[in-house]
Amino acid sequence: MKISLDSKNKLIKKAENISLFFKDKYIDDFEIYISASIDNEIEVYNKSVESLSHSDTSGVGIRIFKDKKAGYAWINSFEDSKIKDCIDKAVLNARASGADEYNGIPQEKESRYVLNKNIENFLYSESFNEYSVDKKINMLKYVEEISRKKDKRIIGVDSLSYSDSLYETVILNSSGFKRSLLQTSSFIFLNLIARKDDDTSTGFGFSYGRDPGSFNLEDVAEEAVKRSTMLLGARKIKSKSSTIILDPITASQFLGVIASAVTADAVQKGKSLFKGKINERIFDIDLNIYDNGIMEDGFSSKPFDAEGINKGKTTVFEKGILKTYLYDCYTARKDNKQSTGNASRASYRIPPTVGISNFYIEPGKKDVSEIISRIDEGFYVIDVIGMHSGANPVSGDLSVGAKGVLIKNGSIDDPVKEVTIASDLMSFCKKIECIGNDLKFFPSGGFIGSPSIVIRDIAISGN
Amino acid sequence: MISKKTVKKILNLLLESGGDFADIFIQSKISNNLRLDDNKIENVSSGYETGCGLRLIFNDSTYYAFIDSVDEERLAESARIVRSAINNSQKINILNLNKRKSGYGTRILKYPNLVNPEQKAEYLIAADNAARDVSEKIIQVTSVINDVEEYEFIANSEGYLCENKSVKTFMAANVIAMKSGEIRTGYKSYALTRGMEIFSKKKPDDVAKQAAEIAVRMLDAVNAPTGTMPVIIGPGFGGVIFHEACGHSLEADAVVKDASVFKNKIGKKIASECVNAVDDSTLKYHWGSYKFDGEGYPAKRNQLIKEGVLLSYLTDYKSAKKMSIPLSGNARRQSYRDIPYPRMSNTFIDAGKDKPGDIIKSVDDGIYAKEFAGGQVDPATGDFVFGISEGYIVKKGKLCEPIKGATLIGSGPEILKKIEMVGNNLEFSPGFCGKNGQSIANEVGQPTILVSSITVGGTEI
Repeated sequence: MKISLDSKNKLIKKAENISLFFKDKYIDDFEIYISASIDNEIEVYNKSVESLSHSDTSGVGIRIFKDKKAGYAWINSFEDSKIKDCIDKAVLNARASGADEYNGIPQEKESRYVLNKNIENFLYSESFNEYSVDKKINMLKYVEEISRKKDKRIIGVDSLSYSDSLYETVILNSSGFKRSLLQTSSFIFLNLIARKDDDTSTGFGFSYGRDPGSFNLEDVAEEAVKRSTMLLGARKIKSKSSTIILDPITASQFLGVIASAVTADAVQKGKSLFKGKINERIFDIDLNIYDNGIMEDGFSSKPFDAEGINKGKTTVFEKGILKTYLYDCYTARKDNKQSTGNASRASYRIPPTVGISNFYIEPGKKDVSEIISRIDEGFYVIDVIGMHSGANPVSGDLSVGAKGVLIKNGSIDDPVKEVTIASDLMSFCKKIECIGNDLKFFPSGGFIGSPSIVIRDIAISGN
Repeated sequence: MISKKTVKKILNLLLESGGDFADIFIQSKISNNLRLDDNKIENVSSGYETGCGLRLIFNDSTYYAFIDSVDEERLAESARIVRSAINNSQKINILNLNKRKSGYGTRILKYPNLVNPEQKAEYLIAADNAARDVSEKIIQVTSVINDVEEYEFIANSEGYLCENKSVKTFMAANVIAMKSGEIRTGYKSYALTRGMEIFSKKKPDDVAKQAAEIAVRMLDAVNAPTGTMPVIIGPGFGGVIFHEACGHSLEADAVVKDASVFKNKIGKKIASECVNAVDDSTLKYHWGSYKFDGEGYPAKRNQLIKEGVLLSYLTDYKSAKKMSIPLSGNARRQSYRDIPYPRMSNTFIDAGKDKPGDIIKSVDDGIYAKEFAGGQVDPATGDFVFGISEGYIVKKGKLCEPIKGATLIGSGPEILKKIEMVGNNLEFSPGFCGKNGQSIANEVGQPTILVSSITVGGTEI
């Protein structure tokens, strides 16, 4: 299934052909999800190509509904006989699944938002194909070169990679939805190793866009150099309770825990501590948090979600108060609400689930430097480790490893490592005192963005 | 699926512009996933995939392409794209392909794709009931059965080819318990490289029940202490610390890149004398076992650490060649979409002499970390963090109240030197390991061990 920047109708035709195979099946509804992509990945190490990978792949996912039961099957071939087997398997699978009155094919009227068709124009770049493999390799070599020059403590590159993707998805369902979407993406990632005396430290930088032209390579190198050298000579400190500042990247990792707890799926299954907290104040300060699926520069933006429902801008927290959960059609029906367009799927190989789009904290007005200058004693966190194991969105327990620098009398002091910061999610939210103006997005699951945030009285444990 | 003649043709085409090594990896796979959540079987899903990866290595560079097909013309097209990346006059020509043998084999009794999904659904319903029967405090149960039947074919420019069929069955339960507003979770998994017959040995009910018991026990947890103290690490999943904080640094690609704390440490003492560590992909039916690795090299047992001395690294073709050390059978890949890298298989600290009871008795003031929620490590520095999901305070040689919100933080190489006692109760635990964006089946293992001091991060200052 060859796709290109101007091949749209081919995939829709494929989906139409597949839809004919459902004619003699005793089912109530079906959905066909096709995706095809051309992906490239290049890694450079020590000025030469470490690896170069190219792929051209496609597949189809079949979701069926019969007697309020759902079944799923997928295949990476478009041979008629194989697709027919795949459909039969989906039907067989539905028989084993539990009947549920809220199961069923999405209908147009279930959208909370009107269609924003304009956003389609921001999902791909016409100049995506203008970048040759050699151009991309040279770009990576350039980043390696400038990184090494920036600081003599940089002893090497742990990882330097570029990846891009041209992909198209099609959704066709038995309630009449039939649309396709073309997207391009480019991503560059650098992780540097710095050493001073016996101490080694690593730090990363990254950039992304719809084509490599939107990268700021200087910033990627600068960020990785800063992050890797800042922590050299770091030591453990004595356990204490302190004000902490999370930089935008570590803050967005914490925000990720909140994001997974506001999906209606987690809430309805009792797996979220935000259950029953609509219209309650969660943050002491007037924080606004949005899930915006139609932001022009948002990497998770689309006109419609993974089951064809319109996307929009959802205010999840308004002035510190929880206003809504994020819904797909199934969870919306259960709460007697409309879908917020948050059905998401990473590929045709999995059925849709509720997930975030561009989820972010609205930035404040203060510069980070100004914030730091007002702190007598604090800990500026620039790296957290163990986030996926140390933060439990169900119980709210939070305990992660942290690295960063101390703040003394309003300025940056000694680097610190091998400490943990611990709290529980609810008091963590309550204790947020102020936020910076430095909103930065981080691709992780969806697309998460946060400015620097200041939190008071957090337990830091060291010696 | 593909003829020897075609394979030879494609390999020779790959090497037409030169190169040191080329291989072809074909995979065909059927997978089934069932999930029970919120009292109902909510997702039954199956997948069929067939694909091929072509790899060419020249000097330090790897060139790779993959497609969803084994069609000769499409393979040839991809081979041409790959070889266009290099231009060298020195050419290898492959004349013959010989089948490679492995000493490892399995026998499958119940192929999972032939078992009706309704039967598997019954297993999960039984597991759900068993977990909820443990206590009225159980408020949610999620359980899964995932199975895979897979065929692999690998051939390379050194004239080897191998074929392999494998079957994997994975079952896990995650249970949530609540008491007066406090929520705790418990998790257990059970997985083997076997068919559905694994449930005749141990039932899904037992797994779910164990997970439920952990969640309920943890409801009475007190805030974890903070500071540096002796830590007893429990058997089985406790081995995840060795896996994360030491195992990854023994993967030779990290060593080659100067991103490992164990570089230039072969033959040197890196751990206490009581530490023996092994990676063994030939443990029969274990979750991390296989017949051939992702490059077609036979499975092998590798002693990593003997009496505290580092003996070997885990390698793939590229890193072994670069370092002039032997292949260890640890080149692994998630699928045909992925380039193989050195990875662990079943990795464990081997059994020692101490009785687990004596280890606990020896600690005056510390904690016992029994189960972990996972962990993370930076291989360049060896710094690690692990979340404790089930842990207890140890006072005067006795296990006391459970603790919540605790993590262990430290450095892998330092911890290895601080292991003071190693139990005689080696146990294993299955899981998944992520590296370079690829997730693969891994097993960790260890007996009960005592580490003289680790930083414990809790909320109680």
